[in-house]
Amino acid sequence: MPETTDRSIRDNRLLLGAIIFFIAVASGAGIYLWSRMGGSAESGTPAAEDRLPRMQLIRLTEPLTVTLYYPFDGRLARGEAAVKRQPDTQSQAREAVASLFADQRASAAAALRDVKLRELYVDALGTAYVDLSPSQRKDVKASVEEELLAVYAVVNTLTQNFEEIRQVRILLDGKEAQTLAGHVDLSRPLTKRMDLVKQ
Amino acid sequence: MRTVVELIVLCSLLLPAAALPAEKGLTVNGVRFFSYPAFTRVVFEVEAAAPYVITKTPDGHGLLFRAYDGRLALKSALPPIRDGIVSGVELREEAGNAYLLVRLDPAAGEAKDFVLRGPDRIVLDISRGSAPAGAAPQADKPLVVVLDPGHGGKDGGITGARGEEKTLALELALQIRKNLRKDQRFTVVLTREKEQALSLDDRAAISNTAGASIFVSIHAAAGAGGRVYIEDLSDDGGGQTAQPPRGDFLGFEAGSEQQAMVWGRQQAAHARESGLLGRRLAQHLAGKEDAEAVQAPLAGLRAVDAAAALIEFGMEQDISRTAEAVAGGIEQYARDDR
Repeated sequence: MPETTDRSIRDNRLLLGAIIFFIAVASGAGIYLWSRMGGSAESGTPAAEDRLPRMQLIRLTEPLTVTLYYPFDGRLARGEAAVKRQPDTQSQAREAVASLFADQRASAAAALRDVKLRELYVDALGTAYVDLSPSQRKDVKASVEEELLAVYAVVNTLTQNFEEIRQVRILLDGKEAQTLAGHVDLSRPLTKRMDLVKQ
Repeated sequence: MRTVVELIVLCSLLLPAAALPAEKGLTVNGVRFFSYPAFTRVVFEVEAAAPYVITKTPDGHGLLFRAYDGRLALKSALPPIRDGIVSGVELREEAGNAYLLVRLDPAAGEAKDFVLRGPDRIVLDISRGSAPAGAAPQADKPLVVVLDPGHGGKDGGITGARGEEKTLALELALQIRKNLRKDQRFTVVLTREKEQALSLDDRAAISNTAGASIFVSIHAAAGAGGRVYIEDLSDDGGGQTAQPPRGDFLGFEAGSEQQAMVWGRQQAAHARESGLLGRRLAQHLAGKEDAEAVQAPLAGLRAVDAAAALIEFGMEQDISRTAEAVAGGIEQYARDDR
């Protein structure tokens, strides 16, 4: 009989130990998962799903630095400009070209001074359509060199800052045009020309 | 595409008389020419496709184009052409029946025709055959040099202290012609000899019709430095991502063999010659042996079927000296590089 009692007490102790061990492991795992998830709602820290949009919002308010290409001394020169950050490539590209036309360094070039940006679209194939119009109601007057550098200032600014943009079509007043000032062919898509850039 | 074209041709030719327009005959609204190195395309723009007959003249020097049934009517003037394959098109009348005579040069080879619909056109392609025995060697023929003074009419180009670009460009072209005329190897043609508006395509058409071997477009810029440009063919629709034109007026499928030969692609066949011409002009204008032409996508050169370059001289430069330099560059190209 005493032998039976001893065995029963020993079995109960083993069971109690197993229960305590299980509770300890479960508690440890719970604490670990809780800490990985960023704490409880009571602590005041936002949950993971709330935190991501807030981070993006903060980044959108920061300006984006783009490289502008503008005519200078018979070549294209590089210069940086801070532009308002936009949520998509098309809007960002529009912002970059608007910044080019507004830039004092670029507006020294006759052909860029005489035009303004109407619209800019990017299609799924990576072609940016840049719709320009004369800033005053008169034709754009420029030499071949001025026209060439003005056109590639736009093309290089777009293709070098946005990898989604592979080529550029320039339109005038919403329509396909043969040239801007009588020389450079705008009837085809244009790709970047880095040989025109001052090293 | 070829199958479709063949089908259209077959249908138009085999259509029963009842299916054809009630009014018999063929009305030609206009005739257009397109000169390529290997062939000349004559396009008869017709009011409505109808059966036609094309036969060779007995002497083999012409093609007769007439309506199969009824009268042929021509509604516009015939443009001039002389491109080494076709030497002209005339409207003739015989026994009350009008027909068009396409006069062929000795170099003309086989001819083939087909019909395109919407708008209706009858297209005649005449290939360049082998030169007949006893023909004069090319070296003895004068080289046709076309000088193209830029701008004109309302488009004055840029304005400097010495006047408008259109006026200075014409002045320089006339001076270059004077210099080149001293050399009997050259026949010099100007796209304009007076104050006149011309489109870029008109200028190329004048050059192609004149059978030019050398084409030099003349422009001016502020300052004293001169530059030379040649056509940049790298963006000419060859890239995989490039958007092909939406379809030319002939309705060819974009990217097809025919598309590659339509108007505006002629310069592609002269890339090497234009590079050599551009280099010679740059060397003579800059007075430096290592001077090179700059490649640029130029709307005024792409339809020119000849070695072609564009010069931009400084408005402050002396016109006589610039003319000597340009003529010198042309002469050296003709002597050493052709």
